[in-house]
Amino acid sequence: MIRFWQKRLKEGIKTQNLWADEEMAAIKKELRSQIAKRFAGSLAIRMVDSGSCNACEAECNALSNPYYDLERLGIHFVASPRHADILLVSGVVTFNMYHHLLDAYKQLPNPKWVVTLGECALPSSFAIKGPVEQILPVAHHIPGCPPEPDDIIRGLLQFIRKIQ
Amino acid sequence: MRFIARFAQELSDRFEVIDIYDKKKIVTPVDKHNPILPTLTRTYPAAIWFERKIRDDFGIDFEQSFDTRPLVHHERFPNIHPMRKDFNKAIDFAPFRPYPYERIEGEGIFEVGVGPIHAGIIEPGHFHFSQEGEAILHLEVRHFYKYRGIEKMMEGFEPFQGFEIVQKISGNESIAYQIAYLLLLAQAAGVELDENVRRFNALLLELERLAHHLTDLGFIPNDAGFAPALAYCSMLAEDTRRLLKKICGHRFGFGAVRGETLDIDKKAVQDYIDQTRQKLLFFKEWITQIPSLWDRLDNTGILPRHKAIKYSTVGIVARASGIALDRRKDGWYDQFGFAPLTTSKGDVAARFTLRLEEALQSCDLISNLLDFSKANTPLENFADGEYVSFIESSLGEVMLYLRIQEGRIDRFFARDPSFVNWQALHLMMPGNIIADFPLINKSCDLSYAGNDL
Repeated sequence: MIRFWQKRLKEGIKTQNLWADEEMAAIKKELRSQIAKRFAGSLAIRMVDSGSCNACEAECNALSNPYYDLERLGIHFVASPRHADILLVSGVVTFNMYHHLLDAYKQLPNPKWVVTLGECALPSSFAIKGPVEQILPVAHHIPGCPPEPDDIIRGLLQFIRKIQ
Repeated sequence: MRFIARFAQELSDRFEVIDIYDKKKIVTPVDKHNPILPTLTRTYPAAIWFERKIRDDFGIDFEQSFDTRPLVHHERFPNIHPMRKDFNKAIDFAPFRPYPYERIEGEGIFEVGVGPIHAGIIEPGHFHFSQEGEAILHLEVRHFYKYRGIEKMMEGFEPFQGFEIVQKISGNESIAYQIAYLLLLAQAAGVELDENVRRFNALLLELERLAHHLTDLGFIPNDAGFAPALAYCSMLAEDTRRLLKKICGHRFGFGAVRGETLDIDKKAVQDYIDQTRQKLLFFKEWITQIPSLWDRLDNTGILPRHKAIKYSTVGIVARASGIALDRRKDGWYDQFGFAPLTTSKGDVAARFTLRLEEALQSCDLISNLLDFSKANTPLENFADGEYVSFIESSLGEVMLYLRIQEGRIDRFFARDPSFVNWQALHLMMPGNIIADFPLINKSCDLSYAGNDL
């Protein structure tokens, strides 16, 4: 344990410092103040995968790592749709997930928004009911296959600007 | 003999059921008007999902099978056989038919259903527990919520176009799938892959393995309530993803494997490896000194060796139960200092330590694989025929099958390592409490997308 703290002190804070990337710094600053204004400082996201390849999930998990540490901007991934402001949906909507996705959407309290993640440019298939925008009212789409963590942060800011 | 896969295909006058074992391949013709076949499940229990899938896909029945419930077709799926050649249309929801879960009945025994949507950033799947208080009596794993119909999707494309779909089967194994597909195309084109290309591909595969193992090394202790490990390892995993982005332009290696080497920054890779090895050694020393963590990991979710063999398990799950099963054990990897690693205990701790050792081994392999120069293997003029390839992904052995007819894909089949390992998950449950389930599940870290296809 002592060695751990020695190393900790030697290496310093790993979270990407805001001065390291000016563009991202400005985005994060604005995102934080927008969330403070619009969502009382706390934006809760419920993520549902309705047929992606798992890369979008990996990138969302990466948002919680010490490099990005999304929670410091007031954004939380929550366990229940009933705690969420945003339903973040990744992938296509498969035949077998269709009703479960609608169930999850119904559980969100109003006001609620759907944000989609990623571009699954797959050919059409009998087992796919379509992209999310044909099934739910999508407020914003974050492109990329998969969108990188920085893209997701950027996308969330664009979303908040859009709903004003 | 180890059972690997059982799947079917349709020809103009008959069905064929193909059984793949580690040493041979058996093709059985099946009459289209009376599609029925003896079951394999009495010898190989892992064949049951394969047979249930074949029944859903083609309508072929299996005699004396102990389970005839639909697998891929859920409650609202219409009664169709979508892999048949004459099926080609959109489908609509059929009336709800309840799915009969495996139940254990008795006084005080209750059921717990978890999923398909879980409380985290994770893929959908359903786990159905029969509980006696805290203790798990039985678990039924029910998946295929993410069933996208990849196999049917591939049909009709030119072989090279298949890469675009194959790389999106499972994000965590994208590079492995691309390499396995490349091996198929090389066979079809009748060419040997260039040695430099092989090295470059193997390098990417080890980087992918590192990224995946590092993520798990954080998530397993996190599921036992030790969050600092997740913070530390997710940083290492992020470094790996960034390196992948730097050398092949994509954090998951989409599009990186096309039969040619890319001009990569070898010094950046070497620097990354040196640092990661140091950090992993530090992590190893640190994590072994947390007794409360090992209290949770030791003796949890044991899979005994004989059951691991009987259920045809692969990958980390098999190796942690003492089976030296690794597709990299093919002679070619020896020159880079590869030897399959195993541990014998088969519990969560064994799978965790094995991941750690494999991550360190991957660091060594990457250093030795860096010695390659620019090259490419031309892939064209694909001959009609049937091809099989194997690759060791971060999850275990991936098997791909491709049938080319008149220059187009006629049948594509993929057996993800998770497809067999999911079927062995319930064997680890009895004797454990339900609170340990996430830990056991994470220690195997199986793919949903690859399994469901």
